[in-house]
Amino acid sequence: MSTGQLVPTAPPGASPRTPVARARGLVGSFDRRFLPVLGTLLTLALMLGVGQSRYSTDRADFVSMKLLSNLLVDNSYLLVLAIGMTFVILTGGIDLSVGAVVALVGLVSAKLFTAGLPLPAVLVVGVLIGTTCGLLIGVMVQAFDIQPFIASLAVMFLARGLANVVSTNSLAIDDPGFSALAAWSLKFGEGRGLWRINASMLIALGVLLVAVYVLHYTRFGRTVYGIGAGDRGAAVTLMGLRPARTRVWVYVISGTCAGIAGILFALYTKSGFNLTGIGMELDAIAAVVIGGTLLSGGVGFVLGTGAGVLVYGLIQVLIAREGLDSWWTRVFIGGVLLAFVVLQRLITVRRR
Amino acid sequence: MSTTTTPGRRPGALLREVTQHGLVWPALALVLLLLACGAKSPGFLDVALRDGHLYGQLVDLFRNSATPLLLALGMCLVIATGGIDLSVGAVMAMSLAVSLTYLDGAADPSSPLTVATALVLGLGLGVLAGAFNGVMVAGLGIQPFIATMILMVAGRGIAMLITEGQITTVTSPPFKSLGSGFVLGIPTPVVIAAAVFVLVVLAVRRTALGMFLEAIGTNGEASRLAGVKASSTTWTVYVIAGVLAGLAGIVYGAPTMAADANNIGLLKELDAIMVVVLGGTRLDGGRFHLGGLVVGALLLSALERAVIIFELPSQTTPLFKAVVLIAVCVAASPSLRSRLRTPRPPARSAARPAEVAA
Amino acid sequence: MSERNGRADDAVVRMTGITITFPGVKALDGVDLVLRPGEVHALMGENGAGKSTLIKALTGVYRVDSGGITVAGQELRFDDPSQAQAAGISTVYQEVNLCANLTVAENVMLGHEVRRGPFVDWRATRREARRFLDRLNLAIDPRSQLSSHSIAVQQLCAIARALVVDAKVLILDEPTSSLDKAEVAELFRVIRTLRDEGVAILFVSHFLEQVYALSDRMTVLRNGRFVGEFRTDELPRRELIAHMIGRSGEALAGIEEQARTAVTVHSPRETPLLTGVGLGKDGSVEPFDLDLYPGEIVGFAGLLGSGRTEAARLLTGADRPDHGTVSWQGRPTRLSTPLAALRRGIALSTEDRKKEGIIGDLTVRENIALALQASRGAWRRIPKRELDEIVQKYMVALNINPPNPNALIRNLSGGNQQKVLLARWLATSPRLLVLDEPTRGIDIGAKTEIQRLVTELAADGMSVVFISSELEEVLRISQRVVVMRDRQKIAEITNDETVTSETVLETIASSGESAA
Repeated sequence: MSTGQLVPTAPPGASPRTPVARARGLVGSFDRRFLPVLGTLLTLALMLGVGQSRYSTDRADFVSMKLLSNLLVDNSYLLVLAIGMTFVILTGGIDLSVGAVVALVGLVSAKLFTAGLPLPAVLVVGVLIGTTCGLLIGVMVQAFDIQPFIASLAVMFLARGLANVVSTNSLAIDDPGFSALAAWSLKFGEGRGLWRINASMLIALGVLLVAVYVLHYTRFGRTVYGIGAGDRGAAVTLMGLRPARTRVWVYVISGTCAGIAGILFALYTKSGFNLTGIGMELDAIAAVVIGGTLLSGGVGFVLGTGAGVLVYGLIQVLIAREGLDSWWTRVFIGGVLLAFVVLQRLITVRRR
Repeated sequence: MSTTTTPGRRPGALLREVTQHGLVWPALALVLLLLACGAKSPGFLDVALRDGHLYGQLVDLFRNSATPLLLALGMCLVIATGGIDLSVGAVMAMSLAVSLTYLDGAADPSSPLTVATALVLGLGLGVLAGAFNGVMVAGLGIQPFIATMILMVAGRGIAMLITEGQITTVTSPPFKSLGSGFVLGIPTPVVIAAAVFVLVVLAVRRTALGMFLEAIGTNGEASRLAGVKASSTTWTVYVIAGVLAGLAGIVYGAPTMAADANNIGLLKELDAIMVVVLGGTRLDGGRFHLGGLVVGALLLSALERAVIIFELPSQTTPLFKAVVLIAVCVAASPSLRSRLRTPRPPARSAARPAEVAA
Repeated sequence: MSERNGRADDAVVRMTGITITFPGVKALDGVDLVLRPGEVHALMGENGAGKSTLIKALTGVYRVDSGGITVAGQELRFDDPSQAQAAGISTVYQEVNLCANLTVAENVMLGHEVRRGPFVDWRATRREARRFLDRLNLAIDPRSQLSSHSIAVQQLCAIARALVVDAKVLILDEPTSSLDKAEVAELFRVIRTLRDEGVAILFVSHFLEQVYALSDRMTVLRNGRFVGEFRTDELPRRELIAHMIGRSGEALAGIEEQARTAVTVHSPRETPLLTGVGLGKDGSVEPFDLDLYPGEIVGFAGLLGSGRTEAARLLTGADRPDHGTVSWQGRPTRLSTPLAALRRGIALSTEDRKKEGIIGDLTVRENIALALQASRGAWRRIPKRELDEIVQKYMVALNINPPNPNALIRNLSGGNQQKVLLARWLATSPRLLVLDEPTRGIDIGAKTEIQRLVTELAADGMSVVFISSELEEVLRISQRVVVMRDRQKIAEITNDETVTSETVLETIASSGESAA
């Protein structure tokens, strides 16, 4: 009975649960918590359907491995950002600094390459810059009781200002190792059906797997959800856990993800520029919300965030295929956001 | 504004009360910054009268403070209700786009009637945007952050649609003077901002509106049950924020007369929020301090100006914004204060003083 | 008078000379508390006596300034709740402090999940949770979301969690304040089982019957000071109350007598002030009829969840009815918002003081002014002098403490907050005042004051609806009693000498049979 560390010795018959009851339980829990994510998946399916019917040709389907691969290549940095943001939002916080951190990391990396640092060192420093920024937010939020919005806003200004100090010009990255990493890919299929797996994709998917593990298979993950239950984590404190450390950690995680995303964005553009990533934090937040995570915290899934990023990327693809001007993207994303937020609201009202 | 000093208290207590007042640190920062600028550039604090108009760096400082003050006034009321309005920057862009596009199409862009119509159209769009935000927040009960983020994201796209993807430029001296002219020797934006400030202060503090806003921000349901029209009041506040954002967009964009949908008001919502926070109002709603907004707005402009005076690259401004924001927030942080004040506080900051009396 | 147990080794917890000071206030001053295994120990005291502070000192939420805490003979110092839990001290708080967004299993096992390698083994974790729930006879699905269960079940889940951490000491802070009778009985069964297993239980409750039914010993606090430790069976109720409020037993009897004699006034029957016909709301309360007359106190009796609060909300515009009509002074009307009701002179003082009553960040003065100001609209501000007079009048009349109108209301004790809320509604000069649990969680002195005030108001011609879980209280002051059960109005009784709490309880029970 002590701490539950031991494998329980209760006889198998002790549990009165029949398979039917178990199945019903599964359906019951499905209804409640997966509904927003279900909405995301339906939207994704709908958009794929529209794309498939409008843009498929005799020679190539719209929905293909190539589409998926392109979506992941183009949005790998956003996926990583959104994953970090999911941690923060689950605790009921927000991190506005990530876009500026992406710019800072890209520029510093470019500068370090020109200074002649080896590739691994640059990558490590780049990620650590993000980690430091996250740590700064976490300390402000936890130790000084500053609202996450303001704390991350300050760090956003800080990172943006530092990026401007590093350089106000676009710095190209021509380190051979880095270029090789950016160009590396596994190719599948051939002709028009050719699709690739590249390093950014693998890194982003790796981050996703780690996030799923941390959020759903560790105590840390449960504490993250517990803090999001409201009352500034008071419940978790009174339950004898220590939310303070966890709250700092989620910002460190988000910062680290921003650092990784900075590297991925540099890989994508092969350069660093101080004006990149303006508004990128909003893209990340939007992807998280579209992925079914409630901004008030405590409810959501990191895999939903993955789906949210795909929806986000798909909007851009559809707008481009439709031949509309790029500003339509913003209007559409606003529209999708509106639909989702209203939908989530209706679900939560119905539930009560 | 809420602090009342009782005479006859010990100087130590008075000092503590003063340092606890949210506005002390920003005001101190502002004064130091102005003095430093004055020391570095001797002419900084001079104000000259030329052709009956006031000129000088200090005048420019006030002129630059007008837009953030207008935005912050609306933002502060929204924040008092426990909300936030992220869309104001995009609303600025949309309003300017509407006004300039109308002027562009008008036969005589310089006629007073046309300019007045353009102004009304721009402000009307602000009302529309605010009404949308208000319906989302007060009507549907959606979190303000995400509700206003929708227009923040979509707004610039809509502004682009209005200008058809062009940067619309017009020539209309009367319209331009809204941003760059003078009234009785004082820059028009300063006059507009001052007038709006007085209007808002009167509307909020001479009536019970301010108390209602604070009540809603502190405990919405209790306010409703006490008979406060919580949702219509909240809605109104978002409309006010929308109109003021529209006005700010026009005042800000008028000197250049170019509706650049991508850049007008970019990140201004963050400036406005920063001004509110610098002004001593907490982001989680309830008590708010309008007087602090003036200090906050001046501090923000002084910071931007100081970077130039000290011959630093202007791109480093965000860095100093960050430093000031962190310094002021940490200095005003209740946990830091309680740590300094009492040797033995409750062990956890999660335990608010509210629970002491229970 | 106070009997102290001299031996040190039979105590699980021994707190001695605990002193805690908050800025400006000495919340606890040299308080002792001894908890023994296999005993239920009640912590008694009025609001503001320091019970919550003492509990928070024992659970590590507050740090103590001086005094010692020994647990199982070891001197300990707690800096945060996790250390207290590690020492075997678990707490179930008044407002359930679990995570509503997680499942039952996750809540019960949070921080103690079964792990396999680096992964949490959810299947095994749920099995463990099931095991602890079974010990409490709680047949719920560990996978269900906590928020889908009643408060009572959530409370039992919190106790299951205490079992997981192998608590030697279980603290129950007002666990019964939102439970109905059957749920209380179930909770008591669980508590007694745990006691028999050797757990030391600290029980805090305002319900004296429950304290006497359950506890073996009690410690009484008053104004942050230790009054004494007593064996429950050796301390008559009257003496306990005297200890709690610091007055002799005879003086208390006088107060009670006064309140009782003040109620014999009967109202003349005239046009009803308010008539509800077939008022009901789906999923909330079944349609009911009700007439309310001026100068009359109508009590609502019924268990929690019987629909009494919901009925009151329909009468006052807090909720909109799905069925039925309301007439005000004989004329049909619609009470679509609280404001509409307020403008007609209808006021509702809600059950949940914290969530639906006080505006914590505002001052006492502003809290009193709020409803009156709301009825006048935002633009017509109450002149300062008029407001000063109103505030002064009610602060004196209701004896609000501290007598500073500019104090923030959240810094007041529960009883004084309640008085401020009463002042808020009285300031609007209502014709009909609906009071939902106005005396819950407040001390006996304030309780008697409020009861007396209510009878005086009715004597002056106000119509009052008085809702309370304490049947005796309802019967003491009301002329008519509406009995509610299972979201239905089941009877309306004229309160004469023949009516006792037993007859009302019988009414509730008998119609239960007929309905079944």
